Amino acid sequence: MRQHKLALCKEHYLEWVPEQTDRFIKKYNMFTRDEKILVAVSGGKDSLGLWDILVRLGYQADGLYLGLGIDGGIDYSHESQRLTEKFANEHNLKLHIVDIEKEYRQSIPVLSQMTHRGHGKPCAVCGLTKRHEMNRIARDLGYDVLATGHNLDDEAAVLFGNTLSWSGEYLLRQGPVLPAGDGLARKVKPLCRFYEREMTAYCLVRGIEYIYEECPFAEGSQSIYYKELLNQLETTRPGAKLTFYLRFLEARKSGELFVEKDMEQAHLHPCPNCGQPTSAPDLCSFCRMIEKVNSVPAS
Amino acid sequence: MVKLILRDKEYEVKPGMTLLSALQKSEILPESVIATREGEMILEDEILKDGEVIKLIAVISGG
Repeated sequence: MRQHKLALCKEHYLEWVPEQTDRFIKKYNMFTRDEKILVAVSGGKDSLGLWDILVRLGYQADGLYLGLGIDGGIDYSHESQRLTEKFANEHNLKLHIVDIEKEYRQSIPVLSQMTHRGHGKPCAVCGLTKRHEMNRIARDLGYDVLATGHNLDDEAAVLFGNTLSWSGEYLLRQGPVLPAGDGLARKVKPLCRFYEREMTAYCLVRGIEYIYEECPFAEGSQSIYYKELLNQLETTRPGAKLTFYLRFLEARKSGELFVEKDMEQAHLHPCPNCGQPTSAPDLCSFCRMIEKVNSVPAS
Repeated sequence: MVKLILRDKEYEVKPGMTLLSALQKSEILPESVIATREGEMILEDEILKDGEVIKLIAVISGG
């Protein structure tokens, strides 16, 4: 780990990762051992790694898997669900499974086609649906906090994109913790300071079987492009990604980034249908999408 | 020769160079992969020997 000027053997690496995670959980006041955590698990290395770490640390962590109905010729959703269930069974953990197609009549790719969102790719609909459903289930099932497996590369790529476009509202919202609000569960990212490479190494050394295949729709995505650019920078300047993210967090916290901190909260109101906060004038984006889908006669 | 395998692609490099040099020669970003030999992770300064097969595990995911 050149960014830390640190090299560890397998045994110590498996101790170091949970120790660091616990340090970040406490540093950013993510949650305590008395709170109930819902971990969003996709079957990938980060979310399964996170679930494993939280359980090893003694936190009360249950899993949530969202069945997205993505096939892409590799049976992507079925395989990721199988690996998630396998992990939960082997560790005797509680896993909630929600099938989007059963809940809303259509899979993610079909929802995307029907609503014409996302310029021919279902990623925008997928992101919207996942955010909505994760929040709904965390809230409905009484969890204190929703944890996702976002790693430093994910965070740095989002930050890079938002900085390129100077998306002030998004920059103000980005961080290891998104506090709970009216209808919004607290969201936390305990892995936000680990490189993607470190999480891959953790799963390999720990023997966690995860879905190696990429989501078939991720190819050519903007976030992967940004990650590649940042990795080019990291190769010549070890630690650049970490510094980029941490200095951003410092600047945001100190208030030197932007002045109006509560800009986003000021005009949020509950969606008349689902009750989740939205800045749209009437129904939230998700409910509008479902309304549109439901207005199309079933074929 | 030394064979590097990344997903469905194969690369060949001359033995005697470090893993880091082999990755650079193959135009693979070192930050984007983890290298394994017979299931064990290896470091960037490891010298690659003739006949070895190095499996590269892609670490980038997302969409």
